[in-house]
Amino acid sequence: MYNITEKIEISGLQVRYGEKQALKGITFSVYEKEIVGIIGPAQSGKTTLLKTLNRTIDFVTNACVSGIVKIDGIDVSKIKNANQLRRKVGMVFPLPVGLPLSIYDNVAFAPRAAGIRRQDQLDELVEKCLKQAALWDEVKDRLGSLGTKLSGGQQQRLTIARALSHQPEILCLDEFSIAIDPVTTMRIEDVLRELRSEMTILLVTNLVQQAHRLADRTAFLCNGDLVEIDDNEIIFSDSPAQKMTYDYVNGNFG
Amino acid sequence: MEANRQILEAELEREIFTHSQTLFTQTAKSRQEQWIENLVKTTLLILTLLIIFPLILIVGFLFYKSLPILSFEFLFSNPIRGMRAGGVWAPFLGTIYLVVVSLLVATPIGVLAAVYLNEYARNNWATRITNLAVVNLAGVPSIVHALFGLGAFVLFARMGRSILAASLTLAIMTLPVIIASTKEALGAVPMAFREACWNVGASRWQTIRQIVLPNSTSGILTGIILQVSRAAGETAPIMFTGAIFFKALDEGNIFAYNIFDQCMALSMHLFTISTQVPDVPEALPYGTAVVLLGAVLLINAVAILFRVYFRSRKKW
Repeated sequence: MYNITEKIEISGLQVRYGEKQALKGITFSVYEKEIVGIIGPAQSGKTTLLKTLNRTIDFVTNACVSGIVKIDGIDVSKIKNANQLRRKVGMVFPLPVGLPLSIYDNVAFAPRAAGIRRQDQLDELVEKCLKQAALWDEVKDRLGSLGTKLSGGQQQRLTIARALSHQPEILCLDEFSIAIDPVTTMRIEDVLRELRSEMTILLVTNLVQQAHRLADRTAFLCNGDLVEIDDNEIIFSDSPAQKMTYDYVNGNFG
Repeated sequence: MEANRQILEAELEREIFTHSQTLFTQTAKSRQEQWIENLVKTTLLILTLLIIFPLILIVGFLFYKSLPILSFEFLFSNPIRGMRAGGVWAPFLGTIYLVVVSLLVATPIGVLAAVYLNEYARNNWATRITNLAVVNLAGVPSIVHALFGLGAFVLFARMGRSILAASLTLAIMTLPVIIASTKEALGAVPMAFREACWNVGASRWQTIRQIVLPNSTSGILTGIILQVSRAAGETAPIMFTGAIFFKALDEGNIFAYNIFDQCMALSMHLFTISTQVPDVPEALPYGTAVVLLGAVLLINAVAILFRVYFRSRKKW
C-alpha cells in the first residue's frame, strides 16, 4: 500500500521546555509518500513534534531536545546548515501568514533565498505552486498585489504555496484548517490527496475525521506520549490496540 | 377562544412596549456615567491644547522679535563687527556639519547594533547588561558626554578640537537613543513574519533584509529624527570639543569647513551673543534662535516626509 522506505525515523525523542516535558520519548517511523495523521488533545506535543523535524525548535530559547530524528537516514541535529533541512521540510502553521510582500514575491521568497535568480524559472515555479495550492485561478491576474490583503482562506493557501515553493520532500501541516471555511478546507484536502504521490505528508489535526479522511496511518499522542500509531482501518475501527484511542476517536475522552 | 387569544396577544404587546420604554430611560446612574464621560473628554482636550499653546507662543514670540533682521542675507552672511551685526552663515553651516557627520557615524552603528540586539542576541546576562547599558547611557547628562569627548577624542585620539571630535561626541550622545528606538521599531514587526521566513529556509539575515528592515523603516526614522533635533540643539558637548567663538567663512560656500577644523555652531553662537558679548542688538539672538529652530524643523520635515512615504508602503 505504501512504499517501505523510511523517510523519517524518530527514536526516543524527548523535548523539555524548562521544567515542562512536552514529549516523553517517542519512537515511530514515517514511510516515503504516505500521509500520517497526528491526533491528540491540546498540550499533547503535536506541534513540538513538527518543530523538531525542521529544527525550528532551535528558536525556542528554553527548549531542550534529546533523542534522534533522522530524515533520509541523516540525523537532523548533525546538519550544519539548518536552512537546507528547512527547505526539505515544508511547514504550514495554524494561522495563515502572508508576508508583507506581493503574492508573487510571497511564493518566490523561498526559491530566491535558496539562490534561484532566473526569472523564467521563478515564474514557472510560482505558477506551479499556486496551482498546487488551488489559488492560481483566483490570483493569476493580480500577482503584484499584497499577500497580506488576501482573505484568510486565500492567505492559508498562499502559505501552503509558499511551503511548496522550496520543493520539499516532506510537508507538515499543523491544523491548517483552523482559520478557514469548510469549502476551502475541502479544496485543500483535495490538494493534499494529489500531493501524496509527490511527497510525504504529516498532518496534525484536531479534527479526527480529517485524519480519517486523508491519512494512511494515524498516530495518537496524549500528554507527550505516543499512545498508538497504526493503519487508519485499525485506529478508526471498533478495536484499536488501546482503549484510550477508541475513546478519543469517538469523542468520549476524559 | 379566538377573543381570548386576541386579549392575550394585546396584553403581551403592551407588556413588550412598556418594557422597551423602560429599557432606555435615563436613570440617575446613566446620567452620571454620561456626565463623567464628557468631563473626562473635555479635560483631556484642554490638557492637549495646553501642550500646543507654549509652542505657538515661543515660535510666535521668536518670529516677532526677530522680524526686523530676518532675511536671506542674514542667513548667508558672516557675523561682523565683533558679532554685533551681520548674519549667522558660519554657525549655521557649522551646525549642519556637526549634525550630518554625527548622524553619519551614529546611524549605521546604532541601527546595526539594534539589529544585533533584537534579532540575533540570545536572552542571556550579557545581552541584558548591554541593554541596561544602552538605557543608562541615554540618561547620562550631555556635559558628561562632553568631558568624555574631550578626553577620548580631543586628547587621547589626538583629533584636537575639531568638527570630527565634536561630531563623534554628539554621535556617542545620540547612539543609545537611536539603538533604543530602532529596537522598538524592529520589535513591532510581528514574530510570525520571521517564523514564516525561517520555516521556508531563509537565513536570519535574508529575513532581516527583506522583511524586518523594510517594514520598520518608518519607526527607525522617527528615532533618528528626534536625535537630529537633539544634536543640533546641544551646546555642552561641542563647547569643549570643537565649537569656536568666531570664525570667518566663505559666504555661500557649503564646503567652507574642513572636518579637522573647528567650527562655529548655532547653539554656541546663541549662547555667546546673548551672554558674552555686550551691546548686541536685541533682534540678533532672536534671529539666531529662529534659524536654529528653522534648521531643525526643516530636517525634521524632510525626515517626516520619508516616514510618511515608508509608512504608506507598510503592508499589513
